[in-house]
Amino acid sequence: MERMIIKNISKEFKKEKYSKPILKTILNLNLLKFKKESTKVLRDISFKINSNEIVGLIGKNGSGKSTLLRIISGIYKQDKGKIKINGKIISMINLYTGLQDMLTMKENIYLLGILFGLSKKEIKNRIKEIIKFSELEEYVNTKLYKFSNGMLQRIAFSTAIYCNPKILLLDEVFEIGDEKFRKKSIRKMKQLVKEGISIILVSHDLEMIEKYCNKVIWIEDGVIKEEGNPKDTIKKYLTVHGE
Amino acid sequence: MNQKIKKFWDLSFYLAKSGFKLRNEGSYLGIVWYLLNPILFFCLLFIVFSQSLGSEIENYAIYLFIGIIMFNYFQSITIESTELIKNNRGLFKSINFSKSAFILGNTLKFLFSHLLEFLVLILFASIIKENISNVLTYPLILIFFTLFTLGISLLLSSICIFFVDTKNIWIFISKLIWFGTPIFYRIKEGTLIYKVNLLNPLYYFIEITREIIIYNRLPNLQIISIGILFSISTLILGLIIFEKLKYKIMERI
Repeated sequence: MERMIIKNISKEFKKEKYSKPILKTILNLNLLKFKKESTKVLRDISFKINSNEIVGLIGKNGSGKSTLLRIISGIYKQDKGKIKINGKIISMINLYTGLQDMLTMKENIYLLGILFGLSKKEIKNRIKEIIKFSELEEYVNTKLYKFSNGMLQRIAFSTAIYCNPKILLLDEVFEIGDEKFRKKSIRKMKQLVKEGISIILVSHDLEMIEKYCNKVIWIEDGVIKEEGNPKDTIKKYLTVHGE
Repeated sequence: MNQKIKKFWDLSFYLAKSGFKLRNEGSYLGIVWYLLNPILFFCLLFIVFSQSLGSEIENYAIYLFIGIIMFNYFQSITIESTELIKNNRGLFKSINFSKSAFILGNTLKFLFSHLLEFLVLILFASIIKENISNVLTYPLILIFFTLFTLGISLLLSSICIFFVDTKNIWIFISKLIWFGTPIFYRIKEGTLIYKVNLLNPLYYFIEITREIIIYNRLPNLQIISIGILFSISTLILGLIIFEKLKYKIMERI
């Protein structure tokens, strides 16, 4: 079953990315100048993902991986191309940065669950499993500002996997945190894939990508440089970017 | 469709609830501040103006209190909305969820505290007036006033991403509105400030509230219609602009 079809996706960002003083804009009459320099972040990206598949996305920093994930999840809109998605998407793109420091772990799980599209009742039914998976039972009523980044990532990941995703977008999720939880998360990920979901995994850990992905897509400067089986694609990637 | 609306509402309400809790975090007096703030400010203005600007105004205490709480409600929501998206950029760039629900959540957060002010208004009215049944019509006015404020919030939260000094300009405009709107004084028909206020949406909402609550009479249909028109048109405009710019906003933050 095809979970996702990406066809000729292109995206460019205006170079002037940050907001500017309104008075300067008016005085310079910049409002009338619509043409600005832009950078092409993604060009003609096409690929397919089936159910029961983990696809690795590799590439150096700034190659367009996170932008692609944001387009797939609907945060950004592509300038060109089409995306066909079959099922609910849950994205984890530096998610722990979006959690609320002054709320407790339990409140944050509710907040994330609702943001991921679950009802309060559904979260209530799953919260025990989420907390158990995160292994942070003793911190349930602790405010998040006391948590390490690894602990925040645990909360975000545990909540995400219990929110009925059909497609999971994981951006450098396993880069933070301890080895034991990482292994446990990977086991859970493999179990979910067996049950029919699809995962796009962005990581700089090429060993992990090679070990767990069915297919790897290498993005270089916004274009797909290589797509294929993990071993060959990573080998080619390493010949360009070294070990 | 119904489920979508329910999820939108659930999200807004939960954001409002947690936002309300966060506002009181670390404060010894907690929600008491929501009552103390307008009451203290009211006392100050009442002492200063009751013998001068307010001397000829019937029931000046309620007149002033209505003006203060309605203006505060509007100002708190709109000023906060100028930084709402920027302050939550991590969340916005991680998950795709309804951004307008986030703005509504902020509005509801202030609505909770405004309802406490409304309780004080009931208390005030029960001391000063014999019949307080008119005060209970305020929630209906508040619905339209909130829709108007939500519209302004949507506009401001989008614009401030593109122009960095929107917040400072809005704070200045808020001050102009504070002095320009008859909150602690009354305006006479035909004067320049009256003509200016005909373009001021806040004037209509405050005027409708005062007419009903203080003077026990229904404002003329024209004032009511203009108030409703302001609220609906501002909300529609806010939604259109916010929806149109939402992807650009995400790219800019």
